[in-house]
Amino acid sequence: MASFEKKLYDFEAIPPQQVWDNIREDLQDEKVTNLYNRKKSKTYYFAIAAASLVIIFIGSYFIKIKNIQKTNPGVASNKTISPEKMKDSMMVNQKILESIIHNPKEKQEIVANDLSAINLPKKYITVAGPEGQPVKISPKAATLIIAADNEFPPKPVWSKKISKWQKIMLSSTVSPTSAGLADLIEIASVNDKIE
Amino acid sequence: MTATGNHIPSESDLIKGCIEGNPEMQKLLYDLYSSKMYGVCLRYAENAEDANDVMQEGFIKVYRSLPKFRSEGSFEGWIRRIFVNTSIEHYRKKTKKYNITEVQENTIEDNELSALDSLATKDILNIINELSPGYKQVFNLHVVEGYSHKEIAEILGITEGTSKSQLARAKGVLKKIIETRTSSNKSDE
Repeated sequence: MASFEKKLYDFEAIPPQQVWDNIREDLQDEKVTNLYNRKKSKTYYFAIAAASLVIIFIGSYFIKIKNIQKTNPGVASNKTISPEKMKDSMMVNQKILESIIHNPKEKQEIVANDLSAINLPKKYITVAGPEGQPVKISPKAATLIIAADNEFPPKPVWSKKISKWQKIMLSSTVSPTSAGLADLIEIASVNDKIE
Repeated sequence: MTATGNHIPSESDLIKGCIEGNPEMQKLLYDLYSSKMYGVCLRYAENAEDANDVMQEGFIKVYRSLPKFRSEGSFEGWIRRIFVNTSIEHYRKKTKKYNITEVQENTIEDNELSALDSLATKDILNIINELSPGYKQVFNLHVVEGYSHKEIAEILGITEGTSKSQLARAKGVLKKIIETRTSSNKSDE
Protein backbone atom coordinates (compact mmCIF):
# COMPACT_ATOMS: atom_id res chain seq x y z
CA MET A 1 0.00 0.00 0.00
CA ALA A 2 1.36 3.41 -0.98
CA SER A 3 2.03 5.94 1.75
CA PHE A 4 -0.34 8.89 2.09
CA GLU A 5 2.50 11.22 1.06
CA LYS A 6 2.91 9.36 -2.21
CA LYS A 7 -0.85 9.26 -2.74
CA LEU A 8 -1.08 13.00 -2.25
CA TYR A 9 1.95 13.68 -4.48
CA ASP A 10 0.49 11.62 -7.32
CA PHE A 11 -3.03 12.90 -6.83
CA GLU A 12 -4.61 13.90 -10.12
CA ALA A 13 -7.96 15.45 -10.96
CA ILE A 14 -9.53 16.59 -14.20
CA PRO A 15 -10.03 20.34 -14.24
CA PRO A 16 -13.29 21.82 -15.56
CA GLN A 17 -13.39 22.71 -19.28
CA GLN A 18 -13.83 26.37 -18.35
CA VAL A 19 -10.22 26.49 -17.12
CA TRP A 20 -8.80 25.68 -20.55
CA ASP A 21 -11.27 28.06 -22.26
CA ASN A 22 -10.00 30.90 -20.06
CA ILE A 23 -6.36 29.98 -20.66
CA ARG A 24 -6.94 29.83 -24.43
CA GLU A 25 -8.59 33.26 -24.38
CA ASP A 26 -5.68 34.70 -22.40
CA LEU A 27 -3.18 33.20 -24.83
CA GLN A 28 -5.06 34.57 -27.84
CA ASP A 29 -5.26 38.05 -26.31
CA GLU A 30 -1.55 37.89 -25.57
CA LYS A 31 -0.80 36.79 -29.14
CA VAL A 32 -2.85 39.65 -30.59
CA THR A 33 -1.16 42.15 -28.27
CA ASN A 34 2.28 40.81 -29.17
CA LEU A 35 1.52 40.95 -32.89
CA TYR A 36 0.19 44.49 -32.56
CA ASN A 37 3.26 45.60 -30.63
CA ARG A 38 5.56 43.92 -33.14
CA LYS A 39 3.75 45.54 -36.08
CA LYS A 40 3.70 48.87 -34.31
CA SER A 41 7.39 48.75 -33.56
CA LYS A 42 8.24 47.72 -37.14
CA THR A 43 6.18 50.55 -38.63
CA TYR A 44 7.63 52.95 -36.12
CA TYR A 45 11.21 52.06 -37.03
CA PHE A 46 10.49 52.14 -40.77
CA ALA A 47 8.98 55.60 -40.39
CA ILE A 48 12.01 56.83 -38.45
CA ALA A 49 14.40 55.37 -41.05
CA ALA A 50 12.44 56.92 -43.94
CA ALA A 51 12.24 60.31 -42.23
CA SER A 52 15.98 60.23 -41.51
CA LEU A 53 16.78 59.46 -45.14
CA VAL A 54 14.56 62.30 -46.37
CA ILE A 55 16.16 64.74 -43.92
CA ILE A 56 19.68 63.67 -44.93
CA PHE A 57 18.84 63.94 -48.63
CA ILE A 58 17.22 67.39 -48.37
CA GLY A 59 19.94 68.62 -46.02
CA SER A 60 22.78 67.53 -48.29
CA TYR A 61 21.01 69.09 -51.29
CA PHE A 62 20.72 72.49 -49.60
CA ILE A 63 24.28 72.34 -48.27
CA LYS A 64 25.52 71.63 -51.80
CA ILE A 65 23.55 74.55 -53.25
CA LYS A 66 24.87 76.83 -50.52
CA ASN A 67 28.46 75.78 -51.22
CA ILE A 68 28.04 76.47 -54.94
CA GLN A 69 26.68 79.93 -54.19
CA LYS A 70 29.55 80.66 -51.82
CA THR A 71 32.36 79.54 -54.14
CA ASN A 72 30.91 80.93 -57.39
CA PRO A 73 28.41 83.69 -56.76
CA GLY A 74 28.29 84.59 -60.48
CA VAL A 75 27.52 81.10 -61.63
CA ALA A 76 25.10 80.29 -58.83
CA SER A 77 22.15 80.12 -61.14
CA ASN A 78 23.92 77.74 -63.54
CA LYS A 79 23.01 74.37 -62.05
CA THR A 80 24.61 72.28 -64.82
CA ILE A 81 28.22 72.98 -63.76
CA SER A 82 29.44 71.93 -60.34
CA PRO A 83 32.03 74.14 -58.60
CA GLU A 84 34.60 71.34 -58.66
CA LYS A 85 34.13 70.79 -62.38
CA MET A 86 34.36 74.50 -63.06
CA LYS A 87 37.58 74.80 -61.06
CA ASP A 88 39.15 71.84 -62.84
CA SER A 89 38.20 73.19 -66.22
CA MET A 90 39.65 76.61 -65.48
CA MET A 91 42.89 75.08 -64.25
CA VAL A 92 43.24 72.99 -67.40
CA ASN A 93 42.65 76.08 -69.54
CA GLN A 94 45.19 78.02 -67.60
CA LYS A 95 47.82 75.31 -67.99
CA ILE A 96 47.26 74.93 -71.71
CA LEU A 97 47.43 78.67 -72.24
CA GLU A 98 50.63 78.96 -70.22
CA SER A 99 52.25 76.10 -72.09
CA ILE A 100 51.28 77.74 -75.37
CA ILE A 101 52.80 81.05 -74.40
CA HIS A 102 55.98 79.91 -72.65
CA ASN A 103 57.11 76.94 -74.76
CA PRO A 104 60.44 77.97 -76.43
CA LYS A 105 60.41 74.98 -78.76
CA GLU A 106 57.15 76.06 -80.26
CA LYS A 107 58.42 79.61 -80.58
CA GLN A 108 61.42 78.43 -82.64
CA GLU A 109 59.16 76.49 -84.97
CA ILE A 110 57.08 79.58 -85.54
CA VAL A 111 60.18 81.63 -86.35
CA ALA A 112 60.96 79.20 -89.09
CA ASN A 113 57.52 79.63 -90.51
CA ASP A 114 56.54 82.35 -92.94
CA LEU A 115 54.80 84.89 -90.75
CA SER A 116 54.31 87.49 -93.47
CA ALA A 117 50.91 86.12 -94.49
CA ILE A 118 49.50 86.24 -90.98
CA ASN A 119 47.44 89.10 -89.71
CA LEU A 120 49.12 89.76 -86.38
CA PRO A 121 47.48 91.78 -83.64
CA LYS A 122 49.56 94.68 -82.35
CA LYS A 123 48.44 94.67 -78.70
CA TYR A 124 46.84 92.37 -76.12
CA ILE A 125 43.46 91.15 -77.20
CA THR A 126 40.74 89.89 -74.89
CA VAL A 127 38.55 86.90 -75.74
CA ALA A 128 35.91 85.04 -73.72
CA GLY A 129 37.23 81.86 -72.08
CA PRO A 130 35.25 78.59 -71.81
CA GLU A 131 33.63 79.74 -68.55
CA GLY A 132 32.95 83.20 -69.91
CA GLN A 133 35.94 84.62 -68.13
CA PRO A 134 38.02 87.23 -69.96
CA VAL A 135 41.27 85.77 -71.37
CA LYS A 136 44.00 88.19 -72.37
CA ILE A 137 46.21 86.99 -75.23
CA SER A 138 49.50 88.72 -75.94
CA PRO A 139 50.55 89.47 -79.56
CA LYS A 140 53.22 86.79 -79.24
CA ALA A 141 50.77 84.14 -78.03
CA ALA A 142 48.32 85.18 -80.73
CA THR A 143 51.03 84.62 -83.35
CA LEU A 144 51.62 81.13 -82.02
CA ILE A 145 47.92 80.29 -81.99
CA ILE A 146 47.39 81.42 -85.56
CA ALA A 147 50.53 79.61 -86.72
CA ALA A 148 49.10 76.37 -85.36
CA ASP A 149 46.79 76.19 -88.35
CA ASN A 150 49.72 75.95 -90.77
CA GLU A 151 50.57 72.43 -91.81
CA PHE A 152 54.25 73.25 -92.50
CA PRO A 153 56.46 72.92 -90.57
CA PRO A 154 54.66 70.02 -88.79
CA LYS A 155 53.89 70.86 -85.13
CA PRO A 156 52.20 67.76 -83.58
CA VAL A 157 52.47 68.81 -79.91
CA TRP A 158 51.52 72.40 -80.56
CA SER A 159 48.55 71.47 -82.78
CA LYS A 160 47.33 68.96 -80.21
CA LYS A 161 47.33 71.59 -77.46
CA ILE A 162 45.49 74.15 -79.55
CA SER A 163 43.00 71.53 -80.71
CA LYS A 164 42.28 70.57 -77.10
CA TRP A 165 41.74 74.19 -76.17
CA GLN A 166 39.47 74.67 -79.17
CA LYS A 167 37.38 71.68 -78.10
CA ILE A 168 36.96 73.11 -74.61
CA MET A 169 35.91 76.42 -76.10
CA LEU A 170 33.36 74.84 -78.45
CA SER A 171 31.86 72.56 -75.78
CA SER A 172 31.45 75.44 -73.37
CA THR A 173 27.82 76.18 -72.51
CA VAL A 174 28.69 79.46 -70.82
CA SER A 175 30.32 81.22 -73.79
CA PRO A 176 29.19 79.34 -76.86
CA THR A 177 31.03 80.19 -80.06
CA SER A 178 31.11 78.67 -83.50
CA ALA A 179 34.43 80.35 -84.25
CA GLY A 180 37.83 78.81 -83.59
CA LEU A 181 40.37 80.52 -81.38
CA ALA A 182 42.49 81.57 -84.37
CA ASP A 183 39.41 83.15 -85.99
CA LEU A 184 38.68 85.11 -82.83
CA ILE A 185 42.22 86.46 -82.79
CA GLU A 186 42.08 87.43 -86.44
CA ILE A 187 38.76 89.23 -85.93
CA ALA A 188 40.21 91.02 -82.92
CA SER A 189 43.28 91.94 -84.98
CA VAL A 190 41.15 93.38 -87.81
CA ASN A 191 39.18 95.45 -85.28
CA ASP A 192 42.47 96.64 -83.85
CA LYS A 193 43.63 97.83 -87.30
CA ILE A 194 40.37 99.62 -87.99
CA GLU A 195 40.68 101.47 -84.71
CA MET B 1 4.70 21.82 -36.37
CA THR B 2 1.55 19.72 -35.79
CA ALA B 3 0.52 16.86 -33.55
CA THR B 4 -1.38 14.68 -35.98
CA GLY B 5 -3.04 11.38 -35.14
CA ASN B 6 -1.27 9.37 -32.47
CA HIS B 7 2.05 11.07 -33.07
CA ILE B 8 3.18 12.80 -29.89
CA PRO B 9 5.94 15.32 -30.43
CA SER B 10 9.11 15.14 -28.36
CA GLU B 11 9.40 17.32 -25.26
CA SER B 12 11.71 19.77 -27.04
CA ASP B 13 9.35 20.01 -30.03
CA LEU B 14 6.44 20.57 -27.68
CA ILE B 15 8.30 23.36 -25.87
CA LYS B 16 9.42 24.91 -29.16
CA GLY B 17 5.88 24.79 -30.54
CA CYS B 18 4.48 26.48 -27.44
CA ILE B 19 7.14 29.20 -27.57
CA GLU B 20 6.22 29.83 -31.22
CA GLY B 21 2.61 30.24 -30.08
CA ASN B 22 1.30 27.14 -31.84
CA PRO B 23 -2.24 26.64 -30.35
CA GLU B 24 -2.18 22.91 -31.03
CA MET B 25 1.03 22.48 -29.03
CA GLN B 26 -0.28 24.68 -26.24
CA LYS B 27 -3.35 22.48 -25.96
CA LEU B 28 -1.23 19.34 -26.03
CA LEU B 29 0.93 20.63 -23.18
CA TYR B 30 -2.20 21.42 -21.20
CA ASP B 31 -3.65 17.96 -21.84
CA LEU B 32 -0.42 16.30 -20.74
CA TYR B 33 -0.04 18.08 -17.42
CA SER B 34 -3.43 19.56 -16.49
CA SER B 35 -4.69 16.68 -14.32
CA LYS B 36 -1.44 16.42 -12.35
CA MET B 37 -1.24 20.16 -11.81
CA TYR B 38 -4.90 20.41 -10.90
CA GLY B 39 -4.13 17.88 -8.18
CA VAL B 40 -1.42 20.23 -6.88
CA CYS B 41 -3.80 23.20 -7.02
CA LEU B 42 -6.52 21.35 -5.11
CA ARG B 43 -4.06 20.39 -2.38
CA TYR B 44 -3.07 23.99 -1.74
CA ALA B 45 -6.30 25.82 -2.46
CA GLU B 46 -9.07 26.43 0.01
CA ASN B 47 -11.74 25.46 -2.46
CA ALA B 48 -12.27 24.39 -6.09
CA GLU B 49 -12.83 27.95 -7.24
CA ASP B 50 -9.44 29.03 -5.95
CA ALA B 51 -7.88 25.91 -7.49
CA ASN B 52 -9.32 26.90 -10.89
CA ASP B 53 -7.87 30.40 -10.59
CA VAL B 54 -4.45 29.04 -9.64
CA MET B 55 -4.65 26.53 -12.48
CA GLN B 56 -5.29 29.29 -15.02
CA GLU B 57 -2.64 31.60 -13.61
CA GLY B 58 -0.12 28.74 -13.39
CA PHE B 59 -0.51 27.61 -16.99
CA ILE B 60 -0.20 31.18 -18.32
CA LYS B 61 3.03 31.47 -16.31
CA VAL B 62 4.27 28.18 -17.75
CA TYR B 63 3.67 29.32 -21.36
CA ARG B 64 5.33 32.66 -20.69
CA SER B 65 8.32 31.14 -18.89
CA LEU B 66 9.01 28.37 -21.43
CA PRO B 67 11.80 30.34 -23.19
CA LYS B 68 13.61 30.39 -19.82
CA PHE B 69 13.43 26.61 -19.38
CA ARG B 70 16.88 25.04 -19.56
CA SER B 71 16.56 21.32 -20.14
CA GLU B 72 18.74 20.59 -17.14
CA GLY B 73 16.11 19.01 -14.90
CA SER B 74 12.73 17.35 -15.26
CA PHE B 75 10.20 19.36 -17.25
CA GLU B 76 7.36 18.11 -15.08
CA GLY B 77 9.29 19.09 -11.96
CA TRP B 78 9.81 22.57 -13.40
CA ILE B 79 6.07 22.92 -14.12
CA ARG B 80 5.18 21.61 -10.68
CA ARG B 81 7.42 24.21 -9.00
CA ILE B 82 5.64 26.95 -10.94
CA PHE B 83 2.29 25.64 -9.69
CA VAL B 84 3.43 25.35 -6.09
CA ASN B 85 4.78 28.91 -6.17
CA THR B 86 1.63 30.19 -7.88
CA SER B 87 -0.53 28.50 -5.24
CA ILE B 88 1.44 30.18 -2.46
CA GLU B 89 1.39 33.57 -4.20
CA HIS B 90 -2.34 33.26 -4.73
CA TYR B 91 -2.86 32.58 -1.07
CA ARG B 92 -0.63 35.53 -0.12
CA LYS B 93 -2.55 37.87 -2.38
CA LYS B 94 -5.79 36.72 -0.91
CA THR B 95 -4.91 37.03 2.71
CA LYS B 96 -2.20 39.73 2.41
CA LYS B 97 -0.95 38.90 5.83
CA TYR B 98 -1.74 36.02 7.99
CA ASN B 99 -0.75 35.48 11.57
CA ILE B 100 1.60 32.69 12.18
CA THR B 101 2.05 31.94 15.80
CA GLU B 102 5.20 30.15 16.70
CA VAL B 103 4.45 27.25 18.95
CA GLN B 104 6.52 24.73 20.70
CA GLU B 105 7.25 21.87 18.37
CA ASN B 106 5.21 18.89 19.32
CA THR B 107 6.94 15.63 18.87
CA ILE B 108 4.35 13.97 16.72
CA GLU B 109 5.84 11.04 14.96
CA ASP B 110 4.99 10.46 11.34
CA ASN B 111 3.86 6.94 12.18
CA GLU B 112 0.97 8.49 14.09
CA LEU B 113 -0.31 9.68 10.72
CA SER B 114 0.13 6.25 9.18
CA ALA B 115 -3.61 5.75 9.56
CA LEU B 116 -3.91 8.02 6.53
CA ASP B 117 -2.17 5.41 4.38
CA SER B 118 -5.16 3.13 4.51
CA LEU B 119 -7.49 5.85 3.28
CA ALA B 120 -8.35 6.63 -0.30
CA THR B 121 -6.67 9.69 -1.80
CA LYS B 122 -9.94 11.59 -1.89
CA ASP B 123 -10.49 11.02 1.84
CA ILE B 124 -6.91 12.01 2.64
CA LEU B 125 -7.43 15.17 0.68
CA ASN B 126 -10.62 15.93 2.60
CA ILE B 127 -8.75 15.59 5.86
CA ILE B 128 -5.87 17.79 4.64
CA ASN B 129 -8.38 20.39 3.53
CA GLU B 130 -9.59 20.72 7.10
CA LEU B 131 -6.24 22.29 7.99
CA SER B 132 -5.97 26.07 8.04
CA PRO B 133 -4.28 27.48 4.89
CA GLY B 134 -1.04 28.27 6.72
CA TYR B 135 -0.71 24.75 8.13
CA LYS B 136 -1.74 23.20 4.85
CA GLN B 137 0.97 25.07 2.96
CA VAL B 138 3.75 23.98 5.26
CA PHE B 139 2.40 20.43 5.43
CA ASN B 140 2.16 20.15 1.63
CA LEU B 141 5.56 21.70 1.04
CA HIS B 142 7.39 19.58 3.60
CA VAL B 143 5.54 16.27 3.72
CA VAL B 144 4.29 15.96 0.14
CA GLU B 145 6.72 18.00 -2.00
CA GLY B 146 9.77 17.26 0.15
CA TYR B 147 11.03 20.81 0.68
CA SER B 148 13.33 21.41 3.64
CA HIS B 149 12.34 23.87 6.37
CA LYS B 150 15.02 26.22 5.10
CA GLU B 151 13.48 26.20 1.64
CA ILE B 152 10.00 26.60 3.05
CA ALA B 153 11.18 29.55 5.10
CA GLU B 154 12.48 31.20 1.92
CA ILE B 155 9.36 30.45 -0.10
CA LEU B 156 6.92 31.64 2.52
CA GLY B 157 9.05 34.43 3.94
CA ILE B 158 9.03 33.01 7.44
CA THR B 159 11.69 31.71 9.78
CA GLU B 160 12.81 28.12 9.77
CA GLY B 161 11.53 27.79 13.33
CA THR B 162 8.10 28.98 12.33
CA SER B 163 8.03 26.47 9.49
CA LYS B 164 8.86 23.68 11.93
CA SER B 165 6.27 24.75 14.48
CA GLN B 166 3.60 25.16 11.78
CA LEU B 167 4.27 21.63 10.62
CA ALA B 168 4.10 20.27 14.13
CA ARG B 169 0.81 21.99 14.70
CA ALA B 170 -0.56 20.75 11.37
CA LYS B 171 0.35 17.21 12.29
CA GLY B 172 -1.31 17.66 15.68
CA VAL B 173 -4.52 18.83 14.06
CA LEU B 174 -4.43 15.96 11.59
CA LYS B 175 -3.94 13.48 14.41
CA LYS B 176 -6.99 14.81 16.16
CA ILE B 177 -9.05 14.64 12.97
CA ILE B 178 -8.00 11.04 12.40
CA GLU B 179 -8.81 10.13 16.01
CA THR B 180 -12.24 11.75 15.78
CA ARG B 181 -12.98 9.93 12.52
CA THR B 182 -11.79 6.61 13.91
CA SER B 183 -13.87 6.94 17.07
CA SER B 184 -16.97 7.97 15.11
CA ASN B 185 -16.48 4.99 12.80
CA LYS B 186 -16.21 2.67 15.81
CA SER B 187 -19.40 4.06 17.33
CA ASP B 188 -21.16 3.57 13.97
CA GLU B 189 -20.21 -0.10 14.04
